[in-house]
Amino acid sequence: MTSATETVPDSTPTAVACAHCGLPSPPPSDVSQPAFCCEGCRGAYLLIHGWGLEDYYALRDRVGGETAIQPVESPGRFDELDDPTAMGLSAPRACGEGLLVSRLGVSGLHCGACAWLIERSASHHRGFQSARVRFHDHTVEIFYRPDETRLSRIAKDLARLGYRVAPMTDDDRQRRQSAENRRLLIDIALAGFCMTNAMWLAVALYAGESSGIAAEHESALRIAGVTLGVVSVAVPGRTFLRGALASLRTRTPHMDLPVALGISVGAWAGVVVVLVGRGEVYFDSVTMLVFFLLIGRWLQFRQQRRASDSVSLLMRLTPRLATHVDRDGTSRRVPADRLAAGDTIRVAAGETFAADGVVSAGRSAVDRSLVTGESHPVEVGEGDPVEAGASNLEATLDVRVTAGGGDSRVGRIARMIEDAAGRRAPLVQLADAIGGRFVVTVLILAMVTVAIWWRSDPIGGVENAVALLIVACPCALALATPLSLAVAIGRLAQRRMLVRGGDVLERLSRPGFVWFDKTGTLTEGRLRLRSWSGDRETLVAAAAVEASLSHPVAVAIRNAAEQRRYSVPAADNVRQRSGMGAQGQVGGRRVLIGNEELMRSEGIGITAARRAELAQISAAGMAPLLVAIDGKLRGLGGIGDHPRPSAADAVARLVRRGWGVGILSGDHPEVVRRVAESLGIPSDRAFGAMEPEAKLAKIEASRGSGGPIVMVGDGVNDAAALAAADVGVAVRGGAAASLDAAPVYLQTDGPSALVDLVDASRQTVRTIRRNFFLSLGYNSVAVTLAMSGLIHPLMAAILMPLSSLTVISSVLVSKTFR
Amino acid sequence: MSVLYVALPLAILMGASAAAACVWSIRRGQFDDLETPPLRILIDDEPGDDDPPEGPIRKGI
Repeated sequence: MTSATETVPDSTPTAVACAHCGLPSPPPSDVSQPAFCCEGCRGAYLLIHGWGLEDYYALRDRVGGETAIQPVESPGRFDELDDPTAMGLSAPRACGEGLLVSRLGVSGLHCGACAWLIERSASHHRGFQSARVRFHDHTVEIFYRPDETRLSRIAKDLARLGYRVAPMTDDDRQRRQSAENRRLLIDIALAGFCMTNAMWLAVALYAGESSGIAAEHESALRIAGVTLGVVSVAVPGRTFLRGALASLRTRTPHMDLPVALGISVGAWAGVVVVLVGRGEVYFDSVTMLVFFLLIGRWLQFRQQRRASDSVSLLMRLTPRLATHVDRDGTSRRVPADRLAAGDTIRVAAGETFAADGVVSAGRSAVDRSLVTGESHPVEVGEGDPVEAGASNLEATLDVRVTAGGGDSRVGRIARMIEDAAGRRAPLVQLADAIGGRFVVTVLILAMVTVAIWWRSDPIGGVENAVALLIVACPCALALATPLSLAVAIGRLAQRRMLVRGGDVLERLSRPGFVWFDKTGTLTEGRLRLRSWSGDRETLVAAAAVEASLSHPVAVAIRNAAEQRRYSVPAADNVRQRSGMGAQGQVGGRRVLIGNEELMRSEGIGITAARRAELAQISAAGMAPLLVAIDGKLRGLGGIGDHPRPSAADAVARLVRRGWGVGILSGDHPEVVRRVAESLGIPSDRAFGAMEPEAKLAKIEASRGSGGPIVMVGDGVNDAAALAAADVGVAVRGGAAASLDAAPVYLQTDGPSALVDLVDASRQTVRTIRRNFFLSLGYNSVAVTLAMSGLIHPLMAAILMPLSSLTVISSVLVSKTFR
Repeated sequence: MSVLYVALPLAILMGASAAAACVWSIRRGQFDDLETPPLRILIDDEPGDDDPPEGPIRKGI
């Protein structure tokens, strides 16, 4: 046999976007056909077209979601959906006309087009009457006819499209949050009512001042206005009063303090003026304050809520029920969160593990990508640990539980995320601190005012002091931060960068250290056979064995054969040798494909010439691949991954902005070193062969350099590291749960998006600081006017919305992405 | 008696009833989801969604 050394030119057609999910995929052999990255996407695409719902793709692009919905790989069983006792909140209810409705949690929603697709798919399933998607809490209401179909069948259809439904988690927090949201909205509505009516009453009074008004009319209008002012402070405004009281009791400063001072003084002073019959009333300013500040409060609440919503998605991906096996062998289904250490559960093939544990009986392969990020299956046997959230692939296993429910690794990550999300953004904390000092300053100034005027006009002095307390209210200050953050996050979302909390922006505004994962982030994520020395027969045999395997190396070999239009025969007895490669029989001959370890373990010799070639391959930064047929080494290849074209530029830009850059990768150290070199990253900061735990340790160790530690990774692989970093950034990645491990998700490919994010953060913080100064400026002007007795309700009524408007427009015209 | 004493309470009452309607709709959860309805507007109707009524066309309806 002749062997031809062939270096595959790197100008082989570059990856095309998958027609369904947009991820890079090998170009199809027939260029007029759409490309797909996996069978799942091909299936979903055909299904969508078969149902006549192609508009989904148009809508998706218009609405602006580059979805990465990838069809659920092993949809498994949805049987628990058919058991009403297991459904809890999702138990189907009758709703007339023979229909049942069930509200389920759904994962995989990325944009409005997804809602459309799910709702439209109903018409293609007999018995599935309709669906209504609710984006904000990721649920879907399914209306169906029980005599024509079952929920599990509907769920299977949706899974084929890429959306996984599960019974709603019994989430108390969810209910509390929507109750809180409604309460805030009701308060805003009431405050709006008070404000708008106070406006026209005030206008009447101002008009009367200039053109004359009968005393009794004036007092009637005043009484009405002051009543509205009092109502506004007492009902919707009670939030601030309560916050201020809490702040005083716990002696921690809070922005509510000056606000509460301002509005309560305004209300009381109004009442006194009406009773006494002389003096100015400021009810219009007071009601306006309450309204604007409540809106700011609501914006802040919404942001915090969106951050914590994602966590319940994580919990939804671990099953609610598990099969518990008693000591005497009887099995029953129990809720997963009641599992305790020491219980034994039985997990069938296709099921997900409901708790952390140790295998007590059976052998199988497990997909742990959800938790540890290993993307290829791991064999487990008796004594091996398994994690909640991993899926059992091959055979039934009995597992002795070590940590159930919230104690599992998945549960702990979820809690970590929740805690991080619940913490108030540092910027908001700054605003609170300012609030404390503000109150003290304002009170001192008020006393000074009274003192100044004591000699000449004591009552006037008191009036001026009252006016000061009212106009010094930091409306703009309290609005500035939540508004800036909300706008920034919205703009970033338009650029397909999803940020889940304002604190991320604050943290990224100062330069720190960025750790990049290699595969898929800095490189294209597609392994390719970049060099091959061997004959066609050998490559074909290798491709035959790898035909049915899903390992990235297998995909690369298959693609190499496809690109050369080789026809690949079938292989028998294909087996994966974990950590080493694969083996099989092709045409009666035993084929082995893998690394040097595999060859060593099978006793296959490697000649010196071949060894030299191997060294060359490693030096070129590729992972070596050896193919042996019937005991003799026949082919040698190099598997490599292309660095992204934009990566080097992005790294340079980050360094210019003062960031340190490093690589943490699970891949071969030589490969990592090569990539680091080509990107300009010093080799003492590029680490290969990193297990997820090692990555975590490195992140902890790199703390203390002063800036934020950022981890950028493929969400599937780096869940723990992403959660541990100061800011975790997930890029692409599969399971929704892994995306939830990171507060930032970049939907665009390539690390250049990170540079944009860093720039946007700096801009946002700059805008917020600018707004702080603007509003302080306004307050100073107002306070000076009040102290000198020049203030007038009309002036106050104009100054305060003006300051808010200035802050708002300053945010809207800010340079973030303009 | 000035018209103000009629107009003022009346105006406030009208405003209050609007506020009450708003509060009622918030309570019923109509404001819970502010994200999907804007997207729903963008979706075209399928032909055949609003089926014409059966029977002969009647004038003057």
